[in-house]
Amino acid sequence: MKLLVAVKQVAALDEDFEIRSDGKDVDPDFLIRDLNEWDDYSLEEAVRIKEAAAGGAAAVEIVVVCVGPEDADESLRKCLAKGADRALRVWDETIEGSDSIAVARIIAAVARKERPDMLFAGVQSSDHSFASTGIAAAAFLDWPHAAVVTHLTYTPGANTAVLRRELEGGVLHEMQLECPAVLTIQLGINTPRYASLRSIKQAAARPIEALSLEQLGVKPSDVGESGSLSRVRRMYVPDRGHAQMIEGSVEEQAARLAKIIKDLTGSAA
Amino acid sequence: MSDVEIVTRVLFEDFTPSAVGLFYALGFAAIALFFFGVYVQVRKYRRGAAASLGGNLSARFGAMIGTVLSHRTVARRDRPAGAAHRLIFYGFLLLFLGTATITLDYDILGPLFGVHFWHGGFYLWFSLILDVAGVLLAGGLAYMMYRRGWLRPPKLDYARPDRRPGDPDYDRSGYRREDWAFLWTLLVIVATGYVLEAARLVWLEGRPEVWSYRWWSPAGAVLAEAMRAAGLTQAAGGALRQGLWWFHGFVALLFIALIPLTKVKHIFTSAGSLMLRDPLAAQRLPGVPEDQQRVGAQFITDFTWKQLLSLDACTKCGRCHEACPARAVGAPLSPRDVILSLREFANKTLEAAELPAEAELDVHGKGPGQVAMETLWACRTCMACVEVCPVAIEHVPIIVQMRRKLVEDGQMDPLLKKTLQTIHKTGNSFGESRRKRAAWTKSLPFPVKDARKEPVEVLWFVGDYASFDPRNQKVTQAFAQLLHEAGVDYGILYDAESNAGNDVRRVGEEGLYEVLAGANIQSLSAASFKTIVTTDPHSFNTIRNEYPEFGGNYEIQHYTTLVQRLLLEGRLKIARQLGVRVTFHDPCHLGRFNKGYEAPREILRLLGCELIEMGRCRSNSFCCGAGGGRIWIPDPVGLDKPAHNRMREAAAIPGLQVYVVSCPKDLTMFEDALKTTGNEGKFVVKELIELIGEALRREPAVPAPGVAA
Repeated sequence: MKLLVAVKQVAALDEDFEIRSDGKDVDPDFLIRDLNEWDDYSLEEAVRIKEAAAGGAAAVEIVVVCVGPEDADESLRKCLAKGADRALRVWDETIEGSDSIAVARIIAAVARKERPDMLFAGVQSSDHSFASTGIAAAAFLDWPHAAVVTHLTYTPGANTAVLRRELEGGVLHEMQLECPAVLTIQLGINTPRYASLRSIKQAAARPIEALSLEQLGVKPSDVGESGSLSRVRRMYVPDRGHAQMIEGSVEEQAARLAKIIKDLTGSAA
Repeated sequence: MSDVEIVTRVLFEDFTPSAVGLFYALGFAAIALFFFGVYVQVRKYRRGAAASLGGNLSARFGAMIGTVLSHRTVARRDRPAGAAHRLIFYGFLLLFLGTATITLDYDILGPLFGVHFWHGGFYLWFSLILDVAGVLLAGGLAYMMYRRGWLRPPKLDYARPDRRPGDPDYDRSGYRREDWAFLWTLLVIVATGYVLEAARLVWLEGRPEVWSYRWWSPAGAVLAEAMRAAGLTQAAGGALRQGLWWFHGFVALLFIALIPLTKVKHIFTSAGSLMLRDPLAAQRLPGVPEDQQRVGAQFITDFTWKQLLSLDACTKCGRCHEACPARAVGAPLSPRDVILSLREFANKTLEAAELPAEAELDVHGKGPGQVAMETLWACRTCMACVEVCPVAIEHVPIIVQMRRKLVEDGQMDPLLKKTLQTIHKTGNSFGESRRKRAAWTKSLPFPVKDARKEPVEVLWFVGDYASFDPRNQKVTQAFAQLLHEAGVDYGILYDAESNAGNDVRRVGEEGLYEVLAGANIQSLSAASFKTIVTTDPHSFNTIRNEYPEFGGNYEIQHYTTLVQRLLLEGRLKIARQLGVRVTFHDPCHLGRFNKGYEAPREILRLLGCELIEMGRCRSNSFCCGAGGGRIWIPDPVGLDKPAHNRMREAAAIPGLQVYVVSCPKDLTMFEDALKTTGNEGKFVVKELIELIGEALRREPAVPAPGVAA
């Protein structure tokens, strides 16, 4: 009985960041790396399923997988500290430049190899926000899927899972899926646990399995820029808006404000 | 042999050999019970984790004897109780030594060597001293009864803030019964002793070697005269002596037998605890060795034998209960009840012949004797309890060790969890970029040296609050101005400084503390400086007391010490006397933790401030409520806060103009409390640094309320 959780090490902007010289991304010097917030929740959901099944007939194994370079190990260690049993990391120079669909192709290959009963992913990543990797992996696997899951009832080894999703206007969508299935997990489905620094340190002693494209049977041409149908053209900070501070006495400020409103609305009143 | 030399006390006169035999049998039975009790207690302590005794045992033994004999700690903040306890202690000690003297003469030296010394002049003085000792003891006991029965100080009512009526371990009447039984037993022993003595005198009034020396036992003699006046005959005196002798002896032997199982054992456990006292118990928390399996204290057996012994040292005097800021505002914590809960838990589980299964040893929870997480998280680690405890119980390390287990399980406030993650990620509790740590320097008209790049004389460890909190940044800039004006060669670590970790460690996140301390020590080691200065007492404490264990040995001073010196050396010149009425709030980590009481007061004097002390000052200073990571945990809505309690205390000072603090967290907490307690406009909260800055300028800046008007 196995749960596969796809995670990502995301980047957050530091103060006063600069754009990389090629203009397509932020200079990595100005990025702070961390585990994607949504993945904290999907991992927690898996750990809870495992804990609820503890002592039962089928032991649950949680495998986390990350497509990313070596520095992603830090996030994988956090996952191990929180209760994952194994951590896999797939990387190869050729993966650089992959879009979310190409990454999903790799994750689907990992799922074929690991044969999990369920594949969890976050709804989206906090840095690129494509919200497509998990669902695209489901497409590659041809598995049933559900996005933005806010509640899950699943017993390890069961043939089906019942879940709820929140739709617009406060409507709830309750679904039953056949397993294996792909679920993208929404924030708030649970309260992720705290990984103490000691548990992270202890996790540092555990191995992180590195997987190559070859081991997964993925062709280099299916990943990276060659395997992606979308390209980043440029990344930039738009020019500042026209906000200005109105100074002077209250009367002056009011008069100035009235003039701005008149100018903008074109009213003569 | 002269007349005097034959004077002594009859012991077993008129006893049949079988009666004497019975008495010895009872005596040995009592001693056997006593030693069995001691064995059970020692077995209980030995079931705790290992603890190193630390070195210098003879000096510490001497210090303990000094503390016990002087009653220094017992008399603190409760002089009458201290005086009464002193009477009981010395009375009991003398009577015990007296009884031991008789045993030495009659049972040991006499039978073995034929040596007897308990007669004559020695006996007369012995008799006088013991008679006085009995009066002392009775007087002390009488006062304690008056205190418990009539004065009824709230700290002795044993009301538990961490339990509700109806909870299985809410009821403390058992303790009250034991307290009274203890007092009455001792009083009965003393009283029957005197009546027995008087009866013996009446019985033996015909013997000149007894009767003519009766005034060497003044209390007994007065009583004997009274009995005679009341018509007690010689024969009746003999009968009374016979009956009372057995009663007195039986109660005394029962008392001895029960010592290890009752509160009487504090005679030994308190002395042991005092001797094993760690003078830096709260200032330097115990580390977690790499090979230690469990991070914090989960089971009662995770506490060291020394800690288990100290649980038994508690005499329920209530001084910690009284001093605790959490308890004062109605939080579910009393340090006393944490100790008593754990003691009850240890007695229940570890006094049994067989050690119970691990599941029954878990001290966390809401069951009898367990400690709830709400209780542990209410602690501010302000050290008020540790500081005032007369028997050297170290509550703070016990609470933090239990918190470590909660942190490991993630059982903490979500905001605290978030803050710890933020500190791990960014190195500061504000979640700001490392690059912004020194942003406050940008608006200064002079540069601040980068200690990473050039050697400085004084390395200024700025700390999180002083670096990032907008209000405190103004103080930080003012301090930079002071250093600049005094021509001090100083620098800061810029991005290479991290949160010092003092409060992270007190939260119980030891792993994160290790990371922070390691990072700072690395940065400090790479810099070249003579001494460290900081305006943050929290950073001051951990760098001074805890970094050495991680290889960071530095000379560090709080800014008050440095500024005091700069003022005295004339490197900072006061332009005008401020002439304002102030009170000074001792920060926990500067005052109680590191005894920095004088420098800030001396500075206030030099500035020409009129210092009016609050009732709770210096070692009894009242925590602002932000310590131990509580600044990252929201206070319960609607409940009083420690800072509010403190503001009301300050507001009671007539004509108070400035409430002076010297800690960044204090400034934040008290400026907030000033507003929420409705004292805004009556007086102001200021950092001492700001007052110094004002005194250096000829022109007053913004006058304090009531000053210029």
